[in-house]
Amino acid sequence: MGQEPYVEEYTIQAGDFTAIGEASTKFRATLKMLGIPSEVVRRAAVVAYEAEMNAMIHAGGGTIRMTVAPDHLEILASDQGPGIPDVALAMQEGYSTASDEIRELGFGAGMGLPNIERNSDGMNIETEVGVGTVLTARINFPGQ
Amino acid sequence: MSGGIRVREAQCRGCANCIKSCPTEAIRVIDGLIRIIPDLCIDCGECIRSCRDKAITVNEDEWDLLRSREGLILMADPTFYVQVGAYSRPRLMKEALEHHGLRDISEYASTAFDLAAYASAAIIREGGENLPYISTYCPAVIRLIQINFPELVGRILPVESPLETAVTIWRDATGGGEKVTLVAPCPAKATLVRNPVGRGKSSLEYVVSVKKVIRDLLAYNVKVTGTKTKAISRRWLLWSITGGEAKHISSFSDKGLTSIAVSGLRNTMDLLNELELGRLGGVDFIECRACDLGCIGGTGTYESRFLSQLRLENIETEWLPSHEEMEEIRTWYEKGIWRLENPIQVKERLPLSQDLGEAMAKLREMDAIYAGLPHIDCGSCGRPSCRALAEDIVRGQGEVTDCIFKLRERITSLSGEIQALSSKLPHTLHPSGKRRQR
Repeated sequence: MGQEPYVEEYTIQAGDFTAIGEASTKFRATLKMLGIPSEVVRRAAVVAYEAEMNAMIHAGGGTIRMTVAPDHLEILASDQGPGIPDVALAMQEGYSTASDEIRELGFGAGMGLPNIERNSDGMNIETEVGVGTVLTARINFPGQ
Repeated sequence: MSGGIRVREAQCRGCANCIKSCPTEAIRVIDGLIRIIPDLCIDCGECIRSCRDKAITVNEDEWDLLRSREGLILMADPTFYVQVGAYSRPRLMKEALEHHGLRDISEYASTAFDLAAYASAAIIREGGENLPYISTYCPAVIRLIQINFPELVGRILPVESPLETAVTIWRDATGGGEKVTLVAPCPAKATLVRNPVGRGKSSLEYVVSVKKVIRDLLAYNVKVTGTKTKAISRRWLLWSITGGEAKHISSFSDKGLTSIAVSGLRNTMDLLNELELGRLGGVDFIECRACDLGCIGGTGTYESRFLSQLRLENIETEWLPSHEEMEEIRTWYEKGIWRLENPIQVKERLPLSQDLGEAMAKLREMDAIYAGLPHIDCGSCGRPSCRALAEDIVRGQGEVTDCIFKLRERITSLSGEIQALSSKLPHTLHPSGKRRQR
């Protein structure tokens, strides 16, 4: 059955650490109202949170969009930041280019991308140095 | 709502104070009366604090009726023992109660709290995947997790509330068969009696608030010496302030316990949120209390929470149980009476529809309705927010004109239409409005 997907999108403001996790919280509320299984909701919340963090820490903000289809959901985070020169290196746990200032706030532990990968059923990063990064993560619904 | 809260309809003016105070957005005002959505209410008591007309109260039993009974047995919450300066030790309170023909079972409660801490330490030691474990003590937090943080249900310690276990120990030790009344500091603990989670039926029969019993005691001002009864450990009293339970558990852990203890609903929700996002690695135990400063901040207490805290911080606490006490704790531990009977279940709210496609359509409809609302969350529609109104409308529990701004728009457009109609002339009239001259 061809269902029109449900789309929800937010802007991530640069440097607004008090608003961090806002999109994640809103996505969670949406998924609960749609009756999505709680394990999927939890994974989506983690993915969105980490993606929000990355866009804020490294790219000075961006946008985050969730698309809910009948059998899966997709979270897409895009920014016009510096891009990732070496994706394989960025994927390593504990590797981070975050500034000391960010680390003092308790972020930038180098767990963001590995966490997103662990909590999704498929992740893709398109990045170009000096242009920006588009991260897509897919989570399938159980029984599909 | 599990029966911890009572609304006195005659006293409700239908104002919007409580609906805005509710942390889970569980309250509506419909036709001038408050309605609590049972699936969303966690019995935290924030609405009791916000109500200026005292229309919302702890759902307690009739104290005057109960106290007239011969040999009433009380199981009092630890907060009960720090409400009055003159009776701020369990043995002093026991004596004051005896003066009124009342009996408490504080000596067994003390053992039950030791046992709960000991059992918790043992489970945390096995730890593994489930770390950090979450305290089972605050029933409002348990309901909050069941409803809003379903993924964390498996982390709740499978340890029964020591307020229940104390009764089991008392019955076992004394053969007492009388019904027991819980003296509770808050509506959430009243639910232990009314609607227990994790066990079929409560070992407690009735519930009254700490406030009621203390007021009664103070009316007589009984002088006590505390020499008649033997001293009772006071470790368990510390469970009524933030961090007391964690300290108690830590005293039974061979290696240090890494714990976070918070109180107040905002802190609790933020902490649970961080836990769900996987940000609390390395933490063994999480203690959350719905009320500020802990149970002493409950809406059913008598004393200022600040003074209660002062008293608790100043009592000398012997964290190490005596050899004799330790023997007893171990014996009860082996019997397994501390274990929660049934696993705690998730209680998620119904989605907009069981069918995903239909739910998505309704959510789109909800977004469209929300877009047309004023977004100032004024509460006049009887809902806590414009979003909540939009949700109620798509769930078939409200209409757009419940919003006074939308109603006003309708009236304006209607009156415009009336205006337009009234300027229409009958064809027999000249457009100037005057009749043609002959």
